[in-house]
Amino acid sequence: MEKHRSNLMICAGTGCIATGTHQVRDALEAEIKKHKLTDEVKVVLTGCNGFCAEGPVMMVFPEDIFYQKITVEEVPKLVEEHFLKGRPYEKLMFKEPLKKSVIPIMHDIPFFKYQVLRVLRNKGLIDPESLDEYIARDGYQAAAKALTEMTPEQIIKTVKDAGLRGRGGAGFPSGLKWEFASKTEADKKFMLCNGDEGDPGAFMDRAVMEADPHSVIEGMIIGAKAIGSNHGVIYVRAEYPLAVERLQMAIDKCMEIGLLGKNIFDSGFDFELEIYLGAGAFVCGEETALMRSIEGKRGMPRPRPPFPAHKGLWDKPSVLNNVETLAQVAPIILNGSEWYRSVGTEQSAGTKVFALTGDIKNVGLVEVPMGTPLKTIIYDIGGGMTNKKKKFKAVQMGGPSGGCIPEAMLDVPVTYEDIIKTGAIMGSGGMVVMDEDTCMVSTSKFFLEFTAEESCGKCTPCRVGTQVMLDLLTDITEGRGKEGDIETLEDLSHDIIATSLCGLGQTAPNPVLSTIRYFRQEYESHINNHYCQSGICGDLCSFEITDACKGCQACVRACPKDAIVGEKKQLHRIMQDLCIQCRSCYNACKFQAVDIKPALKKDKQAPAVKDEEVTQ
Amino acid sequence: MTDTLKILIVDDEQIVLKSCEAILSAEGYDIETTLSGKDAILRMEKQHYDLVFTDLKMPEVDGITLIKWIKNEKPATGIVVITGYPSQDTIREALGVGIIDYVPKPFTPTVLLDVAARAVEWIKKEHPVLKEDEEFPPAMLEEIQRVIKQYKDRPGSSIPVLQRCQQIVGYLPPEIQKIIAKGLNITPAEIHSIVSFYSFFTMTPRGDHNIRICLGTACYVKRVEDVLDKIKDILQIDVGEVTEDKKFSIEAVRCLGACGLAPVIVIDEDTHGALTPKKVPAMLEQYT
Repeated sequence: MEKHRSNLMICAGTGCIATGTHQVRDALEAEIKKHKLTDEVKVVLTGCNGFCAEGPVMMVFPEDIFYQKITVEEVPKLVEEHFLKGRPYEKLMFKEPLKKSVIPIMHDIPFFKYQVLRVLRNKGLIDPESLDEYIARDGYQAAAKALTEMTPEQIIKTVKDAGLRGRGGAGFPSGLKWEFASKTEADKKFMLCNGDEGDPGAFMDRAVMEADPHSVIEGMIIGAKAIGSNHGVIYVRAEYPLAVERLQMAIDKCMEIGLLGKNIFDSGFDFELEIYLGAGAFVCGEETALMRSIEGKRGMPRPRPPFPAHKGLWDKPSVLNNVETLAQVAPIILNGSEWYRSVGTEQSAGTKVFALTGDIKNVGLVEVPMGTPLKTIIYDIGGGMTNKKKKFKAVQMGGPSGGCIPEAMLDVPVTYEDIIKTGAIMGSGGMVVMDEDTCMVSTSKFFLEFTAEESCGKCTPCRVGTQVMLDLLTDITEGRGKEGDIETLEDLSHDIIATSLCGLGQTAPNPVLSTIRYFRQEYESHINNHYCQSGICGDLCSFEITDACKGCQACVRACPKDAIVGEKKQLHRIMQDLCIQCRSCYNACKFQAVDIKPALKKDKQAPAVKDEEVTQ
Repeated sequence: MTDTLKILIVDDEQIVLKSCEAILSAEGYDIETTLSGKDAILRMEKQHYDLVFTDLKMPEVDGITLIKWIKNEKPATGIVVITGYPSQDTIREALGVGIIDYVPKPFTPTVLLDVAARAVEWIKKEHPVLKEDEEFPPAMLEEIQRVIKQYKDRPGSSIPVLQRCQQIVGYLPPEIQKIIAKGLNITPAEIHSIVSFYSFFTMTPRGDHNIRICLGTACYVKRVEDVLDKIKDILQIDVGEVTEDKKFSIEAVRCLGACGLAPVIVIDEDTHGALTPKKVPAMLEQYT
């Protein structure tokens, strides 16, 4: 590879592409050419850097200088300052929120400082479409070691000793899974990768497949050797076209130079790999359902045993690992189980990638050692709430199978065993932060809508039960809740959990149970007082302007129904008969002068009493 | 085989022109070729052609412009489209204007000759031209047969076949499902059970611009519903429906995996992030 004085590693993850990576790249290249720096400065498109909140982002290598929110207009100035005059361009650097000083070096920025990168070891450092660059970062060394120096037993022992557990959510020990399949005799076995990332709010697998496809392929080669399989399938969502494209490109490259195919590394081991496009069904994240889907049928789960390690795809022994799990494998083989255990806890070793989203400042992808307290992730890495005036309310983990963790429990370390005690689950790693403006009843209704629709329909308790729960929640959020509804929800939840076949049904009631557990008062307020304190359930609230109003007219402009009257610099008021409870005024007010009150009695809808209603 | 029909072939790739000319002139057609749509118009102003074979994507005067010009100025001339992307999206506009058939690229001599023969039939009988949504162009059906043939002997191929066919037709109406079922030798009921199970498959045609709105958790927390309401309000359609002018359709998806940009929607291939109801009108404006 040619050497350049500087490499500009510009993020080409989905987030940054949407905010203009390609335009910035073109502008950078044009500017570099203009100043005749083409031989010295190279622009590289990398996979997701993780700091999606500040996109498009770019790292200058080797100085490790970090630029964010780059615009095409700023590019000429940036190139002139940094590469001609040799002084990094402060305007586009990360600014410390409180001190207002800039932090030029990427690894000094809090968002990056607390992270330990193993799965994301190559993030922002390599061009995902280049096999050479992956190899230059020790790529395929672990595969070479596993194929030429290790027996399947040794590979399995290393992975078992490392304590690697499934990162898809359930946390089953990966080494053990491999051992079961390895011990089953069969003429054909399958090594499968689950890239059907279905949890809404989780996008780490997408980022890994897009940013570092070879790390997944290498993990699969090692796993295939361990279980004795010559056939691999990567099941990817059709909604992830870029991931599919990059994986296919990586597979083709590997076939070309013999990292896949016959007699890899002259070891006598053959392994073929293909991609199968999912067609959009959440339940296909479940292993037996996923295998039926590859067989071209409706993706419905079946009872276990027989376990897939004995009878899986096409009734052959099969192992299914999640994308992130597989990306962990190569470093374990290369550095050993001791190294892997050097971070994390006894029962949850290593690192975990989380997708940090919601009402949090530093939205993005982070990888931290297991056992890191939630607080550190949300406040130190995540930078706290987007809107500093709003209080933290809960963090949702585990998607539709998980639950909400309230503020009082933020000291909990993120490990499989500690998170489950809170009523949430580790899940695939989505962390959705919610501020005080979130209604917890509506949130659990949101998840139930999801599971009710995604239930495959095989088990009646799941198919009908989730629908009944959803109806109850809808009633509560629309003011038809009655005494005893909370208890009915709890009873139904326990029945569905006890009588469903697969993980979808067994965990579907979790969001409801966990919100009842921590926010029962909100449910009661909805039912008994017809009052939604966060003003989300339109039928259960009204809005009122308080004395704190400065008369700035922001709410008047925001109101879609022209329901707010008031002169400039004078107290405004809302004409309640016109108000549709859309919250626009509440969101627009900079002085927090809009209060959320219980719903007005609806029986005053007789005409010509406008003034009376207004004064209520 | 014919009383020398005059055919003009328009494509910006020399290789396509050469192969069309070789194949068709061997069958006795009188062939002329040109690399640009502009030149094609100049030639047609001077003399009559029975048929015009044209590419869609060309510099300067593109295929659609050329087709519209022919429809207005030379309505007696039959039009066949040659295209590298024979999907509903790319060819819909051409179908809407009125063409006889299309040839997918790359093509075999048989396909080209079949299409040419059908086009000749059309000229003689003055068949009505294909209308959008009423029937499927024969070449589209042939394309489907090719996909079926390619996958037929592979176990578990129904989902990939359906995915490819949806790409070709744009959606999966019952007639197409029946063709696939017959081709793969499984019952139509089974094919339908797969189509109805997976959310990727649709039985209703989509608009020219398909709006996919993310209903994931991060987008929910960031009030994607307000954005959706605004879109519905402007287009006057619900999720899963198509506007009357067939310009827009709305589809709900479970998490696009771009939570960093929440709330996020994807129109065609473009991702629009950090949306607010206020930004919606300007965003839709780009597509009208």
